[in-house]
Amino acid sequence: MNLSFLPPDMNWTCEPCGEKLQPGIVELQYVGSVFKVELPVCPKCGKALISEDLAIGRMLEVELLLEDK
Amino acid sequence: MEQKDLREWEARCIQEEPPACRAGCPLGLDAKGFVLAVRDDNLPGARAILEKSMPLAGLVARMCEAPCEQYCLRQSLGGSVAIGLLERMCINAVPAKTKFLRLPPRPKKVAVIGAGPSSLTVAFDLAKKGHPVTLFHLPGGPGSWLCKVPELVLSEGVLEEELQRLAGLGVNFCQVSVLGEALWTQDEFAAFYIGQDDEYVEGDLLKLGVPDSITFSLETERLFTGGLSVENHKYRFITDVSQGREAAVSIDRFLQGASLTAARVDLRHGKTNLYTSLDGLQREEVVVPADGLGYTKQEAIKEAARCINCECLECVKRCVYLKEFGAYPKTYARRVYNNSAIVKGNHQANKFINSCSLCGQCETVCPNDFSVATLCLDARRTMVQEDRMPGSAHWFALEEMRSARTEGALIRHAPGKDFSTSLFYPGCQLAGIRPQQTLRLYGYLQELDPATGLWLDCCGAPGHWAGRVQEFDEIMKELEEKWHEMGEPLVLTGCSTCLQMFREHLPQINVESVWVLLAEKPPESAKACAPMALSDPCTSRHDSKTQNAVRAMMEKIGQSLTPLPMSGELTECCGFGGLMQNSNPDLAKKVTAARVTQTSSDILTYCAMCRDQLARTGKPVAHVLDILFQDVAHPASEASPSISERRKNRRQLKSQVLSKYHGEQPKATEDWEAIALTMSPEVAEILEERRILEDDIRKVLFHVQQQGKVFVHGESGRKIASARLGQVTFWLQYTETDGSFMVESCWSHRMIIAGGSA
Ligand code: SF4
Ligand code: SF4
Ligand code: SF4
Ligand SMILES: [Zn+2]
Repeated sequence: MNLSFLPPDMNWTCEPCGEKLQPGIVELQYVGSVFKVELPVCPKCGKALISEDLAIGRMLEVELLLEDK
Repeated sequence: MEQKDLREWEARCIQEEPPACRAGCPLGLDAKGFVLAVRDDNLPGARAILEKSMPLAGLVARMCEAPCEQYCLRQSLGGSVAIGLLERMCINAVPAKTKFLRLPPRPKKVAVIGAGPSSLTVAFDLAKKGHPVTLFHLPGGPGSWLCKVPELVLSEGVLEEELQRLAGLGVNFCQVSVLGEALWTQDEFAAFYIGQDDEYVEGDLLKLGVPDSITFSLETERLFTGGLSVENHKYRFITDVSQGREAAVSIDRFLQGASLTAARVDLRHGKTNLYTSLDGLQREEVVVPADGLGYTKQEAIKEAARCINCECLECVKRCVYLKEFGAYPKTYARRVYNNSAIVKGNHQANKFINSCSLCGQCETVCPNDFSVATLCLDARRTMVQEDRMPGSAHWFALEEMRSARTEGALIRHAPGKDFSTSLFYPGCQLAGIRPQQTLRLYGYLQELDPATGLWLDCCGAPGHWAGRVQEFDEIMKELEEKWHEMGEPLVLTGCSTCLQMFREHLPQINVESVWVLLAEKPPESAKACAPMALSDPCTSRHDSKTQNAVRAMMEKIGQSLTPLPMSGELTECCGFGGLMQNSNPDLAKKVTAARVTQTSSDILTYCAMCRDQLARTGKPVAHVLDILFQDVAHPASEASPSISERRKNRRQLKSQVLSKYHGEQPKATEDWEAIALTMSPEVAEILEERRILEDDIRKVLFHVQQQGKVFVHGESGRKIASARLGQVTFWLQYTETDGSFMVESCWSHRMIIAGGSA
């Protein structure tokens, strides 16, 4: 899942860091699998934003796939 | 599952047993497949089925006396399907294939003596296998008595054509003046077949003795015989053909030095273990050919349509879930076995295993008691044990169970009592779905017996259904201890599932359905409504006592009940059982929809979960408590409470009991409980579908208040916050005005965000 999941609207600011979210690489893990994806991330504290579309779409699909591995 | 378990499972499902017609065909022809192909106007397909099992199909299809018909299940309902006439019609309509597959030539030569039907069969079968065959016939030409069959039945051209097929397979025809012993003592042949359905030198056949009835081998090595039917035998032709075929099998084995008997498939003579229900079938008369001789294509199609397509599928016919996965239990057992055997790759049967409602209907309707429920539950347990149960499969139900067992749980004697003669155990679903009625019922039980205590808890069924043996066993132990501490009173359950769990897993506890007690003394306030169809919960399947009690109670009250076909022992699951609704919500919806369409009346039930589940379709569904206590009745058309409401209901019921009966101030609520939320009905629906509780949202917001971490949108100022709660990360988009939160959306995932950097 080496993919990019940047929402069209990147106009989000991390509070209280006060930083605008920027594209960044995030490590996700689930049932023993680890992979890197591109997500909006706060450059200061590193917190990532998982959008609704991603969570109920591709991410859910991959979760179910991994559970059946 | 071990391989031997798989064999046992497979043996139980007889769906793959042959239909009676096939079992009654001496050649084992797939007669059902053939008839159905004719029905579907697929004549080339039908002919291909004939060719597959028949030697010299052009001949056999025209001459066979169709002994299969005597076993046909259509027989008692208008007469057996005219398989023989259908075969004739088909063979006349579709030309023969000209090319035959012949195996590579083999070295040893075979002499086939005589040219009756049995000999032609042996020549055909062995030549196809590559053996060099020489057929010895009398000057009249090959065919023996077939040459005397009237032209109308078998035209000369047909026999001619079939003989050419034999020649095409390399059969060498050799004319001799007499058939006799001299022919089966020649040295150049490795084996001899003596077809007795021809004319022989007087006395020579007598010297052969009697052949083995299965292998058709004779005392003298190398000699085989057949074609033994007497002239007026009803099935003379096909019996001789069948004997020829059996002898050919033996000769082939003999030439290869193999055992004549090992793993030989016996003729079935119509015997089969296939079960086929004739329920609801109408009588239909046999189609008689207009010309008195044979069918036209249209007549044949009409006749073939009388075939009832013999098969079992008793379980599949009734179970939406078994239908959904496209096969039947024998195949499913194989899938489940493969699923556990697989090391790398996808576990494709996980979904199947986790979708069964474990309702047990299949076992009840199966002629061999095949329990898909047991198959699936065992598989679930193995998956849990081997740590490969998908985390999401039963997660929500297990969380529900754990919540009901902590924040919703309570056990007390009646106020002012230090003992209980009985404990009312409503079950977590009744408590969550109908808290006020639960309280009202408890009040009534106290009127009947003031020493009735109350026990709010979950029976652990979700843990059991999820295959979590250890967790479930611990719950059982705890429940037993609590019961023991309360002085081991009678337990009165308000839920069939709880009753089933207690009975099956804690047999030492004396337990009864509360409806059995109420059937004796229904409350005065009980009032009948319009007639309704009573739906028994699937966990009451084998509990006729409770089922009858509910009916007796309704009769006393004057509530009339309309019939529901699948009731009592045959009742169906509402879609919640076995956690189907958790692991396969789409399928559960279909199951629920199928159940409510079985009646045009409103439905009445005595299981809170059934009420909740069935009512989701929009069908009016009442709970018996709506009839028993008019003052707290809910309208049958009322929507089901949301998952959030159910949690809140359980907590509130517990504090109400504490304050009303025991004068106790309920414990202070959690900090997060005070957070005020608003949301549109659409958002509420999204939460329900995604199984996100308002409690979860409050916890996320509380987390934000503590940590102060949140994403804010540049223009709109709306916020997104998240928190990991247990195995799930919840995300929330909202706006905040004066300390009140307007929820715009909410989503979740199970993946863990290990770390990120820009
Ligand atoms: S009822 Fe179902 S499981 Fe039983 S034999 Fe028939 S098809 Fe197989
Ligand atoms: S009804 Fe059809 S399938 Fe059943 S025995 Fe008769 S021909 Fe065969
Ligand atoms: S849902 Fe019920 S009838 Fe269907 S397979 Fe499972 S236990 Fe059997
Ligand atoms: Zn930050």
